[in-house]
Amino acid sequence: MANQNILIIGGGPAGIEAAKGVAAMGFKAILVEKRDRLGGTPDEAQYAALTPDLRDAETALNEMKAPLDGNPNVEVMYNTLVTEASGSVGDFTIKALQMGKEVEIKAGAVIVSTGFTHFDPGRETQKYGYYEFDDVITLTDAEKMLKAHNFVRPSNGEKPKRVCFIQCVGSRDRRLGNEYCSKVCCGMASKQAIEIRQLLPDCKVFIFYIDMRMYGYWENEIYWPAQEKHKVNYVKGMATEIVRSGDRLLVKGEDTTLRRPMEIPMDMVILSVGMEPSEGTKQVAQIFGLKQNKYGFIETLGGPLDTVSTSVPGVFAAGACTGPADLEDSVSMGGLAAMKAMIALRQAEAVPA
Amino acid sequence: MIHLPIAKAKDRLFEADPNNAPTEDLRDEIFQLEKEGEWIVQRVPEPYMEVKTKYGRIKKIPVEKTWHHKSCGQCGHIPGYSTSIFWLNRQFGLDYYDPTDQTSCTAWNYYASATSNPEAQAAVALRNFASAYEQGYFPLIHCGTSFGHYKEVRHALVHQPELRRKVRDIMKRLGKPFVIPEEIVHYSEWVLAMRHRIAERQVIDMSHITATVHPACHYHKLIEEDAIYDPEIYGAQRTAIVSATLQALGITVGDYSSWFDCCGFGFRHILVSRDFSRSFAVQRKIEVMKEEVNPDIVVTHDTGCVTTLDQSQFAGKAHGKKVGLPVLSDSQIAALAMGAHPYKVLQLHWHNTDNKPFLEKLGIDHEKRWSEFQAAVEKIKSGEMEYLTWEDADA
Repeated sequence: MANQNILIIGGGPAGIEAAKGVAAMGFKAILVEKRDRLGGTPDEAQYAALTPDLRDAETALNEMKAPLDGNPNVEVMYNTLVTEASGSVGDFTIKALQMGKEVEIKAGAVIVSTGFTHFDPGRETQKYGYYEFDDVITLTDAEKMLKAHNFVRPSNGEKPKRVCFIQCVGSRDRRLGNEYCSKVCCGMASKQAIEIRQLLPDCKVFIFYIDMRMYGYWENEIYWPAQEKHKVNYVKGMATEIVRSGDRLLVKGEDTTLRRPMEIPMDMVILSVGMEPSEGTKQVAQIFGLKQNKYGFIETLGGPLDTVSTSVPGVFAAGACTGPADLEDSVSMGGLAAMKAMIALRQAEAVPA
Repeated sequence: MIHLPIAKAKDRLFEADPNNAPTEDLRDEIFQLEKEGEWIVQRVPEPYMEVKTKYGRIKKIPVEKTWHHKSCGQCGHIPGYSTSIFWLNRQFGLDYYDPTDQTSCTAWNYYASATSNPEAQAAVALRNFASAYEQGYFPLIHCGTSFGHYKEVRHALVHQPELRRKVRDIMKRLGKPFVIPEEIVHYSEWVLAMRHRIAERQVIDMSHITATVHPACHYHKLIEEDAIYDPEIYGAQRTAIVSATLQALGITVGDYSSWFDCCGFGFRHILVSRDFSRSFAVQRKIEVMKEEVNPDIVVTHDTGCVTTLDQSQFAGKAHGKKVGLPVLSDSQIAALAMGAHPYKVLQLHWHNTDNKPFLEKLGIDHEKRWSEFQAAVEKIKSGEMEYLTWEDADA
């Protein structure tokens, strides 16, 4: 008989949604999380507000997690890292380290939701100066500051008068090998630009972009309000270099609309860093022998019609471990992966031993 | 005073991960081709020093047994540049070889779109490498252009079997072995790797000196992953070359906003539009340094950069521009710090911009030193001696 447990690796939005689905259908969800709390990157990076509805991230995540508390069909294992896996659909044996102690988990199916990591701008040297200038920060740094309602220049604690975002840092970059679009950065930058304008009405905010990729409803929900209501300046052009000029920063680049070089002084620069597979994603892919694409994300094999099945039967992947994904994608995939995992167990049951 | 920029935020420390490099490690391919019998790989002689390059890979820098590939421009315009490198080697008692059969790399015209073809370019490089190998010494490239060019040649040779075949045939007809060095090493990398040893023997205090650094384009923009980067220097966001050396000597390195720009040399410009070179050097580099840092000196590490930055300032001066910054190479500064003669070794009289105020700030009596040099010149004129020897230089 197939083991009725479904192991979910990674407690971010995709993993939480999968666990909720599995438990609601009467299966046992074992949710393994490397940290001591659930919530994934939105929690770890202390997101202030969700994109696109600007809802308070902590409140929304707490609501999402609440059904797991005290749920008899859910076992959450914190501070746990998967180290080995064997078996096949219906009968997986997984070894893990929990607070340094080895534990064994039996499961009939597995859902991997190990997420992404933000691109490290230090790899794009000299261009952005993230490790040279305190006033160059990333989207995640800005998110923490916005959450604390204290958006100031790290170099001197003063409120900035001019802030810009630089898009596609570590994304759509053939030279780096990250040719893909990270999907969410345009929306995130626009959302943060609005938040900065709300918090500091005297601060001018610019966004330097190649293309603004505001797909779906984000166009009306974020992009146009940012310009029309909140007066954020969008400048089509590539920033090529950030240098110091006095006690400010100087952004050099090209304004491709005006077809001329630009040199614009700024108090703060926010790098819209893209997504890369997390270390956990790469490790778990290796442990289960999951096929990865050339960027290291877990490859799903069903094209647009099956976004969660991996190269190993009985192992499914959801969220940003499969490639750049927003919250809608991640949560939808979490639900789909739960359903596919339960179907896999049912089918394993039906096959005579 | 503006110091070398590095983010103070404690959670920001960049360590490049070689496993996450966007480019291949060419040395793996080079050794693989050796296994396949394609060529001989000349190993970096031991003892060597290890430095880290842009993506966190280790690069070996030879201490000695170096074959000094000189620069046409250095020898022609600023001979004290090379002399300082040799002087440093001699001070440390290191075994080096100063060849007389080295060929010009021809890259200057190549980068100006003026001459040659890939086979000829690669054959010139390989002929020089073969000469070094035959002598039992490892190439140390003085010229930034040759250094950048040889890296490009190596890249092309690794990836183009047909080019390898053609160049191998040329080498066979020359009766030379088909050899590629394990590393392509620029002299300024040797100076950087030796910087603490140089600082140990420093006799001139430079702690009150501020410098601006111009990193040479052909050093850090061609095959950029082969340039030296250090988390302690600009947070590994710019090459550490020259800046690390100056810091070791106690010099304050000042930051200026056009650091990434070319010196103005630009190859094509210097050949066909020299006024552009002059204007660029003065307006985009020297004036910006002067306005933002006002350093005592500009230090760089390539022939074209020293000459262009130094020898363009007269034009700016005529137009009332903010000029007047002496320009030296890192080898000259290192030698000066260790007590080298400013005229017999550094040969500062070949430099165009007035460097006497800088020498005075270091407490060097340049009038006395000049008279010593003149006395030696008189001896040569009178036939009392044929040329200056190393002993004369240190006398």
